[in-house]
Amino acid sequence: MNLLRRTVRIPMNTFCLHRTFAASALHLAPVQLPSRAESHLWYLVPDEVKSVSLLGQYSEILSPCENEYVACIRGEQLKKTALLARVLVRTTIARYQTDGYIDPRSLKFRKNIHGKPELEWDNDDSGSRPPVQFNISHTASLIACGVTNSSPIGVDIEKKDRKIQNNIISFARRYFTPNEVERLSSISDLNVQRQHFLKLWTLKEAYVKALGKGISALPFSTFTIKSRNFEKKELNGSGDSDPEITVESVDGQRSLLSNWQFTLLELAGTHFAAVCVARDGSMGDKCFTPKKLTVMKTIPFVGDESMSGTDAAIVCGF
Amino acid sequence: MASVTGISVRMGSVSCNRKQTLVIGSRILNTKSSFFPVTGRSFPSLKSRRFQVSCAAKPETVNKVCKIVRKQLALPDDSAVTGESKFAALGADSLDTVEIVMGLEEEFGISVEEESAQSITTVQEAADMIEKLMEKSV
Repeated sequence: MNLLRRTVRIPMNTFCLHRTFAASALHLAPVQLPSRAESHLWYLVPDEVKSVSLLGQYSEILSPCENEYVACIRGEQLKKTALLARVLVRTTIARYQTDGYIDPRSLKFRKNIHGKPELEWDNDDSGSRPPVQFNISHTASLIACGVTNSSPIGVDIEKKDRKIQNNIISFARRYFTPNEVERLSSISDLNVQRQHFLKLWTLKEAYVKALGKGISALPFSTFTIKSRNFEKKELNGSGDSDPEITVESVDGQRSLLSNWQFTLLELAGTHFAAVCVARDGSMGDKCFTPKKLTVMKTIPFVGDESMSGTDAAIVCGF
Repeated sequence: MASVTGISVRMGSVSCNRKQTLVIGSRILNTKSSFFPVTGRSFPSLKSRRFQVSCAAKPETVNKVCKIVRKQLALPDDSAVTGESKFAALGADSLDTVEIVMGLEEEFGISVEEESAQSITTVQEAADMIEKLMEKSV
């Protein structure tokens, strides 16, 4: 247990919490939309949400379709994660209101052609339509939602201690690029190799999700993720001028795709989290300014905790 | 206890080149529960639109897929994994799905292009694709 962990708590009187937990009486504190130079990463730990009545109220926020989907899932833990993931998305987006209160229940979603969830607005919503882009990822023990102002974003998380069933090098030879196989093969410690594999997987997933595609539409063998250095440092908002993690397409040209920024974190001490965000079109290659990533832990309707600069959000080497 | 209220047999047009496998679809009242194996075979519920008559994968193939899925997702042997089971509903994420596909490739000696992996969302779909690919390689 790290006693030096700094937390900034938002005063609880920001939230109205009624004894009956009636969904209509619960309020969500608004959050300011990030600037174009920032992204937000929200996360929720399912095990910390224990109140049965709160979970019941969460169900009331979901659409009938979503509730039906959750009902079809077998296993209480999986059901809970599915419920909380949808609650996190709805409540988080609703908080970025730019023109009056947004009821999280009123949000509509659709999936793009590759299955990526997107916001769907009615024609008459134009006034209160915040330019939010989001992407979600979850494991059984953590749910993360990344948010930007207008820029495509992809998020992927994996548990740090996840075991790989297949042989890692065989898997990499099958699905990754030769460059990545070489890098993995050069790691002699099997545990370090497994962790590098997971980091690489989350980075690649975050990239294809940011593009709005999936592994089927953009096979992982068509692009290489590389790193420039291996240092571990805390997330403090003042990044280097050169991007640490880059993506190159593997197609004869081996072109650097410089319009994507990656951040790799150790999140909540238990997970690797990769965030991929499109850089602003107006920035040229010469003046690359990394987008600041703010990490917040949250329990919808209960409270938030800023985790940037703490050991719950450590930028890790790759 | 399942009661069979009707049996429908359908011989649709066959696009497979091999011998037809005739599967009789029977109506099982309690469609939400696990399949009730009858004489060692599993019958698909009428809920799925495809009647899985002409080109349905062999039960042995489905069972092998179930075994690989259970192993990947660390599910107990008696857990309800059947042809209709959706990977996502069993808790499989994208890495699990790719690991499962790789496990299937090794078990059956086939190669599944990533582009096709998108269409594998249930155990039955995986089994059907396996048999199709195995046919092609013959």
